[in-house]
Amino acid sequence: MPRRVAITGLGIISPLGLNLADTWKSLSEGRSAIGPITSVNMSRVPMKIQNGAEVRGYDPLQHFEGGKEAYIDRFAQFSIVAAREAVRDSGITLTPELREQGAIVCGSAVGGQAAIEAGFEDLYVQGRGRVHPLTIPKTMANAGASHISMDLGIAGPAYTISTACSSSNHAIGQAFHLVRDGAADMAITGGSEALFTIGMLKAWEAMRVIAPDTCRPFSKDRKGMILGEGGAMMVLEPMEAAKARGAKIYAEICGFGMTADAHHLTQPAVHGPARAMRAALGDAGLQLEQIGYINAHGTGTPGNDPVETRAIREVFGPHADKIGVSSTKSLHGHALGAAGAIEAVATILALHYGILPPTANYTERDPECDLDYIPNQARAAQVEAALSNSFAFGGLNAVVAFRRV
Amino acid sequence: MGDEVAEKVIATLASVKRIPADQINLDSDLRQMGIDSLDVFTLLFELENAFQISIPDDDVRSIKTVNDIVEGIKKLLAAAPPKPDAPPPDVPPGSAAPVN
Repeated sequence: MPRRVAITGLGIISPLGLNLADTWKSLSEGRSAIGPITSVNMSRVPMKIQNGAEVRGYDPLQHFEGGKEAYIDRFAQFSIVAAREAVRDSGITLTPELREQGAIVCGSAVGGQAAIEAGFEDLYVQGRGRVHPLTIPKTMANAGASHISMDLGIAGPAYTISTACSSSNHAIGQAFHLVRDGAADMAITGGSEALFTIGMLKAWEAMRVIAPDTCRPFSKDRKGMILGEGGAMMVLEPMEAAKARGAKIYAEICGFGMTADAHHLTQPAVHGPARAMRAALGDAGLQLEQIGYINAHGTGTPGNDPVETRAIREVFGPHADKIGVSSTKSLHGHALGAAGAIEAVATILALHYGILPPTANYTERDPECDLDYIPNQARAAQVEAALSNSFAFGGLNAVVAFRRV
Repeated sequence: MGDEVAEKVIATLASVKRIPADQINLDSDLRQMGIDSLDVFTLLFELENAFQISIPDDDVRSIKTVNDIVEGIKKLLAAAPPKPDAPPPDVPPGSAAPVN
């Protein structure tokens, strides 16, 4: 008999705030964190990309002692900061048994590529003969999961999933199944990303998918995505164990669906995302009418938004018009492998507080995007269940379902 | 102290571990100071840049105290003094992520 799984702790460091309370405040007030990029020396090379959603005001020395911050890439630092907050928030006691078999499943698309880029600068630009000695362990994509394990002393299954922009949703789904199926009695799951470097910005610039101004998902005048960064983690426990210890339960994670488009490297498709949503609903045992909110993938590119709209219509039929659909990427940017985790936090808190975060920067209706996108203003609504969509380059789709408790 | 190499080693160690330099002396045992192998790699990397030397892997294994590092560097400097035309390292490589 599969177990029900409760979300008992949340932690986040995002462009919207350095912790859960501040991030939720910005989300629920619809305050976008998109602005001129300041963490990169933008004058070094000609750069079309000017705006992003950066984590501002973060001081690693408040979180790491003895010079350890120099050994941990920013993306992995975010995962530790978020995991610590999530565990603290859950109030869980890490018993020897939980430490022994607790799971950690993280998502990251690019891992510590900033660290190796710094090494390339030393070698190719500065002409030095050596790179920082910890370039390898800083760069590895599993650094986030490994550091959480060492930091919190949790020694069960721990790994990282890298499926571009779906990474975190794949991670959360896998962690959910580990707890549901009894392979772990606790899991910390989510994702993190830190991608603001010249090399990364130029690579995205070359893809021609970045908006020159801001991210306007589903709006007719949308011009593309805006990059973001951050980390978000949640604590999953069997529902019965959570109730037995009197834990605060934000929501239930109840379904996960994943599919591949088998179609195109970058062009979105309708059938893959639609099948992933159906799979998540089926896994959760949810009826279409129970879904009242979808946190859309909603990148704000001309390509994604109408295709995602069609996929939602295909799955939900007439009920699609009764669902609030928002893309919070308009607020926190697209944090690639952390996007699913940040958006899961938004979705879970939307269920918990009965406030649906809006799609910001929305100005004009697009006939091809004809759903209710909760434009610009958060909406008070007690919905029963919600989906969080993530669709990746390479045609990999992952959808997570949550239910209010 | 009057020993430039020792002063530089202690200052670098203090900077890497973020501890006050006056808590470090030549007899300080690295392990007792909580300095692990990653700290040693980082310290040697900074010292290689500071002194413009290359520290062989074999020399690293026998390091136990601050003085072991100081003596090792002095030997390397005596064997191959820094080239006078080598540019001084202006930015600490890697650690400062100069790309950004």
